[in-house]
Amino acid sequence: MLKKLNFWYLSSLLVPLLVAIPIITIFFSFFETTSDYLTLLKDTFLLQYISNSIFILIGVLFLTLIFGVTSAYFVSFYNFPGVNFFKWALILSFAVPGYIYAYSLTAFFENYGTAFSILTSLFGEGEYNKHIPKFDGLIGSIFSISFSLFGYVYVLTRASFIYQSHNLIEVGKNLGFSTNRSFFKIILPSARPAIVAGLSLAAMETLSDFGTVSFFSISTLTTAIYNAWISFDDLSTANQLSFLLLFFILILFIIENYSRKRAKYHQPSRGFKSIPKIELKGKKSILPFSFCSLLFFCSFVFPVAQMGYWTIKFPKYFQDIDLWLLNFNTLLLVFLSSVCLIVFSFLSNYGNRISKSKLLNYLSAFSISGYAIPGIILAVAFITFISWLSDTFSSTFGFESFKPLFIGSIAGLVLAYFVRFFSLSFNGIKTGYLKINQSIDDSAYLLGYSKLKTFTSIHIPYLKNSIFLVGVLIAIEIIKELPITLILRPFNFETFATKAYSYAAQDLLEAAAFPSLCLVIWASLFILFVSRYILSDK
Amino acid sequence: MKKLFLSILASLFISTSTMAAEVNIFSARHYDSDTQLYKKFTALTGIKVNVVSGKDKALQKRIKEEGKDCKGDLYITADAGRLGSFQAAGMFQRGASSKGIKKAVSSNFRTAYWTGIAKRARVIYYNPSRTTPLAGMTYEDLANPKYKGKVVIRQSNNVYNQSLVASLIQNNGSKATAEWAKGLVSNFARPAKGNDRAQILAVAAGEADWAVANTYYIALMLSGKKGPEQQAAAKKVKPFFPNQDGRGTHMNISGGGILKYAPNKTNAVKLLEFLVTPDAQKHIVNNTFEYPIIDSVEPNKLIAQFGLGFKQDLKTKVSSYGKKQAEALKIMTKAGWN
Repeated sequence: MLKKLNFWYLSSLLVPLLVAIPIITIFFSFFETTSDYLTLLKDTFLLQYISNSIFILIGVLFLTLIFGVTSAYFVSFYNFPGVNFFKWALILSFAVPGYIYAYSLTAFFENYGTAFSILTSLFGEGEYNKHIPKFDGLIGSIFSISFSLFGYVYVLTRASFIYQSHNLIEVGKNLGFSTNRSFFKIILPSARPAIVAGLSLAAMETLSDFGTVSFFSISTLTTAIYNAWISFDDLSTANQLSFLLLFFILILFIIENYSRKRAKYHQPSRGFKSIPKIELKGKKSILPFSFCSLLFFCSFVFPVAQMGYWTIKFPKYFQDIDLWLLNFNTLLLVFLSSVCLIVFSFLSNYGNRISKSKLLNYLSAFSISGYAIPGIILAVAFITFISWLSDTFSSTFGFESFKPLFIGSIAGLVLAYFVRFFSLSFNGIKTGYLKINQSIDDSAYLLGYSKLKTFTSIHIPYLKNSIFLVGVLIAIEIIKELPITLILRPFNFETFATKAYSYAAQDLLEAAAFPSLCLVIWASLFILFVSRYILSDK
Repeated sequence: MKKLFLSILASLFISTSTMAAEVNIFSARHYDSDTQLYKKFTALTGIKVNVVSGKDKALQKRIKEEGKDCKGDLYITADAGRLGSFQAAGMFQRGASSKGIKKAVSSNFRTAYWTGIAKRARVIYYNPSRTTPLAGMTYEDLANPKYKGKVVIRQSNNVYNQSLVASLIQNNGSKATAEWAKGLVSNFARPAKGNDRAQILAVAAGEADWAVANTYYIALMLSGKKGPEQQAAAKKVKPFFPNQDGRGTHMNISGGGILKYAPNKTNAVKLLEFLVTPDAQKHIVNNTFEYPIIDSVEPNKLIAQFGLGFKQDLKTKVSSYGKKQAEALKIMTKAGWN
């Protein structure tokens, strides 16, 4: 018994430590001497960078909350024309990364862009540039990031709505609550852990976003980190700023944990009957229908149409792309990383659950901030750490250098993705775990089940939907991932994301359209493939 | 089965396929045409070319950390300042100025550690239907209060701007350049944003009278590779080559250097020598619209139409950019250049 406990404990201890590598690396370079970039920054732009970061964060949180919760509410509780379509169509927004959304916004609204072409072909030559609104800068960033991230809030909130016990709604009815009152008094509060989880994922991605804001030339904390590092070779200032960023994230986590504790609703083990939906016909269905249509159009149809339009308009860019190889590379990374992440997230979650150790809890909360460190900084920290470790082993024990095994190899990429996305995977499975009442475990032990058997025969089947959901989230993140892949990849190795980036870097967004479109299609296929499981009403 | 599994497992940990004759490149230039050029090199010499491309400093960091284990032979990038600072970090070895390269490339555009493979000019753009630049207009003039609200340029974190400002520091000193930067920022028509092409478009659309951008962007637009609307917009603007009465127009380079631990140094030198042959130069200028690094080749006609006789700044060595870039960014940041 004790031995088994040790195994679970140890594995849940080791994984967070591994994932904490970038933070540890950052911590150790924290006290190194700095150039005077930090002083300069303090005197000039630091406040502005921080306020930009906060402004974007608030904007994105506000929009994703409205988009995510409203749409989840409509599709979960009402029947209106197209509801079964919107139910899964809204998740397709996951398939469009912020930077590709930004390409599309710019392409459409820029001087002499697509909007200009459309107006010219409709009404003839004219001075349209002045009248076309420019979605760039802060507003452009907020829209691009929000449309690409509201899916987190939507999926998690909807899942929570669906799994809400029928009884809760019944209780509301028996108390004579109106629909509105039931929503605000019963449904929304019990969905709060899911909403907060979705928002905190969106918030972390927003704070660590580099691609979108740098495309719109908005300076944020992340840009400051990048500048400190790229222009001043001042990694320690970069790290100190990263600490500031991590501080924001830590606050988010405290909020998340606090709200989870306050809303400690274990789902009852019975009563998973689906909620009867309210039929909406005629005028009453206009609001939910137009809200969902507009959201679907803006988040998915618009960027895909822009990319598709370019792909057709510039067909010659097809020929330079080795489609088969790009597909293979992308899927290989997705497969290896998802398997590793899911297996270890399960181990950690289960270890946390059965050991009930506070240390483990803190450690896993700490380690998941790997997700909050901008990918590009994480990649550097990873390289620095591997290099330090290898050099130390070589000089102390006379080992052969193992740098080539992890820098510029597939294994290195998978390991770095692991560090980056462990939070996503760990939290996804944790959300599922929270729904399994502790009493189920206890009953299993009473029946003589071992811990392992409880894990394999009860938890895993019970959490099947969570696994699929997490698998898809990881797959999509990896398909979209750019900075880590760019730095750590082997020679002659391209994914759709790196290919799109390299065209965008030579100022040929037109050529970037096709790889971007493939990226979006793959991500969409993944979503559709498992949408049955994500959206299963049972 | 077990063997298959083991060989798959092993392949995950192997970073490159090792061939008898190969050369490994870390490149911050992303042109597809470069890849085609490398294929020509392989066809000619039998030497396989392996490439990792990426963001500049990120690649540099990887090379530094890999140290002796770094398989890279060449580091190629599109800014002299970056080559210079990487050289200062001790990451290159001598050998880039081989006899063949010395013969082809003027000494202004190479050092013992790296050599230019193409040139680019950073110029001023204007819309002839709205303004005409005075003969002899300079970069320095852009800070003149009479241009208030009329100038667009990209952000200060852009390396082309850093090299331009570095050259101003080299020529006019830090103090004068700091004054200039303040004046320039107060002339901005909008906060710095977008890439070089977006600056040219802003002039075409009448948002500003003067834009600073590299020459090859307008050729890219004129070529039709970006569609008829961009082509039409590009026809509305003209490049102007500044500082013709003084030191000449600011020139920068794309270039490559041989990495310190290059395992295939001979092949790396061969590739650099190949890149400055007339055939390779023709390929480069016709695809990227840069200026050739050798005299015997003419730029693409979309660039040549703007004149070939302009005075290039050959007084300011491109190798000085790297030394002044950090100071340049400091000056720009202090001036409020976002």
